Amino acid sequence: MKATQDPEEDSNLDKVLKQWVVNTSLPPRFQEQVWQRIARAEAKPETTATFWVLVRRLIEANLPRPKFAYSYVAILLLVGTISGAWAAQRETSRLNAALGSRYVQSVDPYQKVSITQ
Amino acid sequence: MKKAGLILAAGLLLAGAAFAGFYYFGTAPSRAMLSEPQPALAWLKKEFKLSDAEFDRITRLHEAYLPQCAQHCARIAELNRKLEDLLNQASSVTPAIQNVLAERAKMRADCEAEMLNHFLQISRMMPPEQGQRYLQWVEQQTCLSGQAMEQAHQASHSSILHSNPMAGEHPL
Repeated sequence: MKATQDPEEDSNLDKVLKQWVVNTSLPPRFQEQVWQRIARAEAKPETTATFWVLVRRLIEANLPRPKFAYSYVAILLLVGTISGAWAAQRETSRLNAALGSRYVQSVDPYQKVSITQ
Repeated sequence: MKKAGLILAAGLLLAGAAFAGFYYFGTAPSRAMLSEPQPALAWLKKEFKLSDAEFDRITRLHEAYLPQCAQHCARIAELNRKLEDLLNQASSVTPAIQNVLAERAKMRADCEAEMLNHFLQISRMMPPEQGQRYLQWVEQQTCLSGQAMEQAHQASHSSILHSNPMAGEHPL
């Protein structure tokens, strides 16, 4: 690639470009469609970027404040505690039901016969 | 941002730890039962609030009952096989088939009587209230309720009716 342009070549190119005539007609509403495409392309990343920037700004501004920090930690602790207790209760019920069935299977000959068959 | 990020991570970490802790300690008694030599009996002890002495007596009774129960099971299974063989060979109900059916019915009746006797013995070894509860529960769960056979019968009837709506009707 050349570092500098030759002025004589430039003037030749200008002449050729001035003589160039485009005969093909553009599709209907071409210009409008191009602008719409540009607007869509610009709008999309803008929205997502704005959302995450907003969230980040919200966190940065509020979380270091003791009131918000304690509330945030307390809420998450509560959610963890409640969901842990709920999951434990469900698992305990499931295990109890399974052990109850196991006891019945050990004493009920019909259930044993149907198992062995 | 560093401070906010730290608080954010600490909150999530605490929530995870609270979940794991509550789940672990909440399921510990049930998991302990599973590691007992006889988990089903350990469950019985917990469910019906048995003392150690009651539990020992019930365990002995249970262990004495199991070989009898196994014998009955083996005998019923043997009769089932015999009946199956006879049914494969016969095109009508032969006296041999009738005999096996009668023998199996008697064996089942004996089995149920013995089982009921075992349940009554166990319930007597429990505190009265728990014994009553045990009897009610065990009657619902085992063949003594008679529900298993009726439900199976109903299920087969409904499946036949679903597959062929005319099947349930009398041919005449």
